[in-house]
Amino acid sequence: MSGGPLIVQSDKTLLLEVDHPDALACRMAIAPFAELERSPEHVHTYRLTPLGLWNARAAGHDAEGVVDALLRYSRYPVPHALLVDVAETMDRYGRLQLVAHPTHGLVLRALDRLVLIEVAKSKKLAGMLGAKLDDDTVIVHPSERGRLKQALLKLGWPAEDLAGYVDGEAHPIELATEGTDGRPGWELRSYQREAVQSFWAGGSGVVVLPCGAGKTLVGAAAMAEAKATTLILVTNTVAGRQWKRELIARTSLTEEEIGEYSGERKEIRPVTIATYQVLTARRGGAFTHLDLFGARDWGLVIYDEVHLLPAPIFRFTADLQARRRLGLTATLVREDGREGDVFSLIGPKRYDAPWKDIEAQGWIAPADCTEVRVTLTEAERMAYAVAEPEERYRVAATARTKLPVVKALVERHSADQVLVIGGYIDQLHELGETLDAPIVQGSTTNKERERLFDAFRAGEISTLVISKVGNFSIDLPEAAVAIQVSGTFGSRQEEAQRLGRVLRPKADRRQAHFYTVVSRDTIDTEYAAHRQRFLAEQGYAYTIVDADDVLGPSLPSVD
Amino acid sequence: MTTLADTLRALPDEALAALFRLRPDLVVPVPTDLSALAVRAQSRVSVARALDGLDEFTLRILDAARLTRDEDHGETSTESILTLSAGAARRVDRAAVRSAVDRLRALFLLYGPTESLHVVPGVDEVCSPYPAGLGRPAAELDPETAALVADPAKLRRTLLAAPPPARAILDRLAAGPPVGTLPATAAPGEGAAAPVSWLVDNRLLVPVTEPSGLAGKPTAVELPREIGLLLRRESGPLGPLRPTPPPVAGAAREPKAADSAGAGQAMEAVRHTEALLEQLAAEPAPVLRSGGLGVRDLRRLARGGGLDESTTALLLEVAYAAGLVGEVDLPGTVTARNGADQQMLPAAGYEGWRDGSLAHRWEHLARAWLTMTRQVGLVGQRDDRDRPITVLSAEAERAGVPAVRRAVLDVLADLEPGTAPGPDEVVDLLAWRAPRRSLGRDTGQREVLAEAALLGVTGLGALTTYGRLLLAQWTAGDTRIGETGDDPLGVRPDADGAAGGGSAAVRALDALLPAPVDHFLVQADLTVVVPGPPEPTVAAELATVAEHESAGGASVYRVTGASVRRALDVGYAAEDLHSLFARRSRTPVPQGLTYLIDDVARKHGGLRVGSAGAYLRSDDEALLAEVLADRRLAPMSLRRLAPTVLTTPHLVGRLLTALREAGYAPVSEDASGATVLNRPKVRRAAARGSVANRVTDPLATPRLSTPRLLGIVEQIRRGDAAARAARRAPSTVRGAGRPGGAGPGMPTAHAHSQALAVLQQAVRDKALVWVGYVDAHGATASRLVRPVSIGGGYLRAEDERTEMLHTFALHRITAAVLDE
Repeated sequence: MSGGPLIVQSDKTLLLEVDHPDALACRMAIAPFAELERSPEHVHTYRLTPLGLWNARAAGHDAEGVVDALLRYSRYPVPHALLVDVAETMDRYGRLQLVAHPTHGLVLRALDRLVLIEVAKSKKLAGMLGAKLDDDTVIVHPSERGRLKQALLKLGWPAEDLAGYVDGEAHPIELATEGTDGRPGWELRSYQREAVQSFWAGGSGVVVLPCGAGKTLVGAAAMAEAKATTLILVTNTVAGRQWKRELIARTSLTEEEIGEYSGERKEIRPVTIATYQVLTARRGGAFTHLDLFGARDWGLVIYDEVHLLPAPIFRFTADLQARRRLGLTATLVREDGREGDVFSLIGPKRYDAPWKDIEAQGWIAPADCTEVRVTLTEAERMAYAVAEPEERYRVAATARTKLPVVKALVERHSADQVLVIGGYIDQLHELGETLDAPIVQGSTTNKERERLFDAFRAGEISTLVISKVGNFSIDLPEAAVAIQVSGTFGSRQEEAQRLGRVLRPKADRRQAHFYTVVSRDTIDTEYAAHRQRFLAEQGYAYTIVDADDVLGPSLPSVD
Repeated sequence: MTTLADTLRALPDEALAALFRLRPDLVVPVPTDLSALAVRAQSRVSVARALDGLDEFTLRILDAARLTRDEDHGETSTESILTLSAGAARRVDRAAVRSAVDRLRALFLLYGPTESLHVVPGVDEVCSPYPAGLGRPAAELDPETAALVADPAKLRRTLLAAPPPARAILDRLAAGPPVGTLPATAAPGEGAAAPVSWLVDNRLLVPVTEPSGLAGKPTAVELPREIGLLLRRESGPLGPLRPTPPPVAGAAREPKAADSAGAGQAMEAVRHTEALLEQLAAEPAPVLRSGGLGVRDLRRLARGGGLDESTTALLLEVAYAAGLVGEVDLPGTVTARNGADQQMLPAAGYEGWRDGSLAHRWEHLARAWLTMTRQVGLVGQRDDRDRPITVLSAEAERAGVPAVRRAVLDVLADLEPGTAPGPDEVVDLLAWRAPRRSLGRDTGQREVLAEAALLGVTGLGALTTYGRLLLAQWTAGDTRIGETGDDPLGVRPDADGAAGGGSAAVRALDALLPAPVDHFLVQADLTVVVPGPPEPTVAAELATVAEHESAGGASVYRVTGASVRRALDVGYAAEDLHSLFARRSRTPVPQGLTYLIDDVARKHGGLRVGSAGAYLRSDDEALLAEVLADRRLAPMSLRRLAPTVLTTPHLVGRLLTALREAGYAPVSEDASGATVLNRPKVRRAAARGSVANRVTDPLATPRLSTPRLLGIVEQIRRGDAAARAARRAPSTVRGAGRPGGAGPGMPTAHAHSQALAVLQQAVRDKALVWVGYVDAHGATASRLVRPVSIGGGYLRAEDERTEMLHTFALHRITAAVLDE
């Protein structure tokens, strides 16, 4: 018995014991083909999926290497059947190839004729394949490239895409590492560099990094690598402006080269930042802004917060297969379960790092997660007990009993910048009154939002109450404490995003705090447990305390 | 010419003993004398058995012996066999041929001195009629062809003139068998039949009638022997000969890697088997009326175990053969389904097996697999009657399967450790070693390889060290016969391992398998990882307090609120759970888990459910206190649930009475809380008529209605008829059935035809007839009936007494006499 750090399970999960001396080497060996699923403190779980194995094949790893890595690091004998399965799965990749034919354009070429015959018969491919050139080659219309790849993946015969990418319209972009406007010099962090490299080597794909770990810089570095016109898709206007600020500061791009394509402005420049919202806006049932995709010969398309990519954009993306695509996200957990579409249309996961590792390297602030359970008053319990099922979460989440607890927490961290995050507007207004703090919500204008955020960054406001709009892409580096009072039911990625608000490293390496206030013995507790799952799997251990511990000796006084 | 009996008679004792050793079936039972022995040695059965064990080359040499027999005496010689087998090219090793001849002589399939060898007649009956794939001589087939053959130059010219498609057909027939079937529909000279017609027209092929075909019309063509030999110029007259077994190269694997992969698979097999049996224990599967488990149950088990159906079938079959699963009669006869009165459940031996070490458990399964006479590959296919073959059913029983397994594994065992031969190589070698035995078995042989891989007997395609040891134990002699003799139920699966840590195979496997662990790691996401196979106690504890998530080398569990509640339900206290995690966990117990346990424990039992016969409630707490303290009500076992509610196990009526007797004034209420008024119930007997309603005139005669009178008349008449029928039948009828008693001087046949005439007349007259007949038990009886019809060999007649229509078989009727 080798006594290695890895245990291979028969359901194709791999358990990696983190404290083992060989754990690091083992992780390097299995990372190319196994998906990191959970990374709690002691044992990380990876999973072998067909997709992961095919991506490994695409990246040049062969079945021998995979089997060898499993055998070398496995503590226990690896079942023969699993090894056979790995080899067979990997063998399916690349029997079909998408190549650029000198005269006929894009063609699907088979190295195994029977596979081509099998897939050509499939109903799923109906209409995607054109005329047969010979027994092994079929013409494919370039517009079907994405859909065909997606369909072949579903059939279990993934095609190797050798047709390459268009370079797009060249545009000089450099990283400005010397520092401009009096800023100090800087350089890419090691994991950012690795992420860009593996993205560039793979051509297209998704980079998964925790909030606050500098995903924008990965995007900027990818643009510097591409040196071509770039389309950046972001969730909202504020996030777009942050991108713009960051790009001006960190690259050679100037204000004039970067356009904003949003509800307010419609600029198309060498680098254009567009919101998902404006792209999916419809007038008379037609998407009116789709021309943007063809407005320039884009060399790179960047999807920020790719886990939020709306369904229509998926469809447009299928047509963009010849362009390089970079997806950025902190949590590839889609509540709609469409992770597979992200992988097949934007590209496979190219880089992923456990949050705790990056925290250990000091790139994100260490965070302390606490769940505070408040006991509802008799009246509130009664109201909850008789609430309609669809109203129960709202009743439990917006209990007034939470207010004094939130107040106590804010007072405890009076020296820090505190964000109070909630999902229900009424509750936010109550909180705003109780805490005497400004509120940012959906109806707040962009201008007002920017003003409040700037004031918060500058420290003029120490407490800010924000609604769901604050879930994503707002850069508030000095926020050190987040208090969550209610959310979108059991959304795991929302929880992760909210934690991300406080993970930007602080100037003095302070500890960040993340509180979530829930009502005991209600559906609120259950949703909280579900929401915490992703972070718990990333190694964030929640401490659960009672409201009385927060409030101190005196009991909450509720009217 | 000497006969086989003479040859045997002349043998010394040792030579006879050697023959018996080679062909033990000759002496079972011991033949009375040497003539009987010779007869048996030439019998089809015995010859077939002797041939079954011969390799391809020896069989070819036997074919050569058959071909070289001279026509007069049926004699051949070693020399002529050598000449034929060497062919023109003389490529075959003469020594190999000689040793093959010696083998055949030792078996007495050939006998006599080397210069005049005889082939045992049984050989021709058992073997193909076309030795070495050559047809009959032309002289036997067709005179014109014989003429062609007799002219070598013309024959060669004709052959060279053959168009390519015709030549292809010739080559195929020359390779053997030399007979080809003609397409049934194609007219001569068209399509595929064209080249054949050409060949027939040119006398190269001779149309023959297949034994099964219709007489007269040729359905096949045969290639004459001479032409076949000519076409085999290149390969020799016997076709390509392989004096040595075909080489088995195979991929070379690191023996350690093969062992490791095999051990991993062995672990999986044991684990999956246990999971399947646990499923069966939780939800027993009904046994089909035709035996075995239904397809739906198999599918359910497969889905539950996360396996494919063929693997599930194999593991179930092995578990059944290992005595771990058995049928049990359903208690009672009330079943929802027809015929499903048996269920498949883990057998009594299962507990003992489950408590054994992994290696022991695996050995138990593997041994069962080696010896079980089941061809699991048949499961899911269809039988002769196109019905699906189900798992554990009788249709998958094949007595020859252990021999196939043995043959296949022997091939693997003969190779260097770590050699992983391809299935084709193995099948090819087996086909060479014993072609007669392997014929049509290649599917079975491939299945054996697949099953061995599934069970971990092989790893990475090579036989594992422990698999080799297991095989050695198996082949070393059936030592277990004695052991299993005193353990017929198989309740001690590791009987032989208890003494000294198990057999060599178990020890070898044990060294490869991970040692069981008694601790786990608890993580913040409330997962519990047991980093190895858990000890039974740890596994049992975790099965209670956590949900199982993933299995394999390690086990992953997750603690949830529901699982903690389940643990509390079976009697754990919160403290027990804390100490369990603290004791077993190698890592600090996360605060979240501690909180979860306390939180669930706090709520656990917050609602109480019980049963009561009746309750007593009052808004007056003092009154209830008084009732509770009242000694007269002590027998009611009242219990206070709340200040205003008491309960009793006794029923409402009893409580009401007791309270009233004690001087209280209770009222009862219904489920909605409304008061139930309770008037005393008056009991009455069932209603009956009064005498006062009767007819008052005692002298008046009873009046009878017309229908009633007619009914009475009918009834009396019937009674009369019955009484007459009860009279004894006429003596002619009674005596007719007895031998010799057929009427005064009337032969039986005559009596029968007379009876028929009487009956036919009676049908026309609708008359009553006494019929004497022999019933199904051979007893004679007679009956008075009114015949209705005769036809189809049956008499249909009405019995007036019973008003039933009877059917008599005419051949059973002995006599018929009109009723006077």
